[in-house]
Amino acid sequence: MTFLQAMLLAILQGVSELFPVSSLGHTVLLPALLGWRIQRSDPTFLAFVVALHFGTALALLVFYRHDWMRIVFGLARSLVRGRVEDADARLGWLLVAGTVPLALAGVFLEGPVRSLFGSPALVAAFLVVNALVMFAGERLKRASALATARPLAKLPFRNGALIGASQALALLPGISRSGASIVAGLLSDMTHDDAARFSFLLATPAIFAASVLEFPRLLAPAAHAVLLESLLGGILAGLTAYASVAFLTRYFHTNDLRPFGWYCLTFGTVCFTLAIMKVIT
Amino acid sequence: MRALAVVIALACFALAVLYWNGALQLAVSHPGPHHTHAIVLAIVGVLALVWLRFQSGVSSR
Repeated sequence: MTFLQAMLLAILQGVSELFPVSSLGHTVLLPALLGWRIQRSDPTFLAFVVALHFGTALALLVFYRHDWMRIVFGLARSLVRGRVEDADARLGWLLVAGTVPLALAGVFLEGPVRSLFGSPALVAAFLVVNALVMFAGERLKRASALATARPLAKLPFRNGALIGASQALALLPGISRSGASIVAGLLSDMTHDDAARFSFLLATPAIFAASVLEFPRLLAPAAHAVLLESLLGGILAGLTAYASVAFLTRYFHTNDLRPFGWYCLTFGTVCFTLAIMKVIT
Repeated sequence: MRALAVVIALACFALAVLYWNGALQLAVSHPGPHHTHAIVLAIVGVLALVWLRFQSGVSSR
């Protein structure tokens, strides 16, 4: 991996982690399209990826810093009092309910799932599936558009857990974590605005915990070879993630998932065709 | 539901110990101790105890 490739991957990670287009899918497909020979299991590359995730998680924490302060104090208050009494505490426990299924799925299923679905053709096929999931979510949402939108503060804990569990679909490279959780939010009668906000808040502990658990990779001797790339890559991923979440929170005030669906459908179809023609491997 | 919370908590703590020691090798990618599995299970166990506390209806009011 050259320095330029590392910086481009950092930008790609920062943008695609939050846009509903599958960051993992893009980090498999774009290097394959550009002919980059990256050993994804190489310790130096894994250390670099940890740095990118760390930067992304920090960007999300900074962007939602006021929300997280209120949520943490709300959680602490509810723990002391033994009951959930306010909206901040409720949102905090909704995030906990949503994070537990993803954490369990990530720990117990990630290894087996990733080893099964690493080829560009399968990743491209899952990108098409990701598009179809978003189109289906939008269609079902429009069909129930007359129903009253449910505010995030009134989301049942069962739905919070289901939205969190839907993120586990993103263990399949090509399925977007944010796409799956936003669609699950829409199907729980939330607005695009609230579904996206809940998805981005859910992403923070998930990405942050994954970074912390994998942090020893950054301290391993192999990581010293990519120290500069990891540091600058982490900063670049953080900056682009911050810009992405700032853009997307405004975007979902008035827009929906369909443009991302069309993008995934087009890009996935092109990559799938190239993969079965053996143009990319 | 309180009994369920206790059972979940105890089960998670027991599994966490087994994964930490490497005695349990279910859904793992390589043999040996699995500290990440153990940490996540321990956290879920603690959350089950929190759930138990909420069900006990303790309130300052």
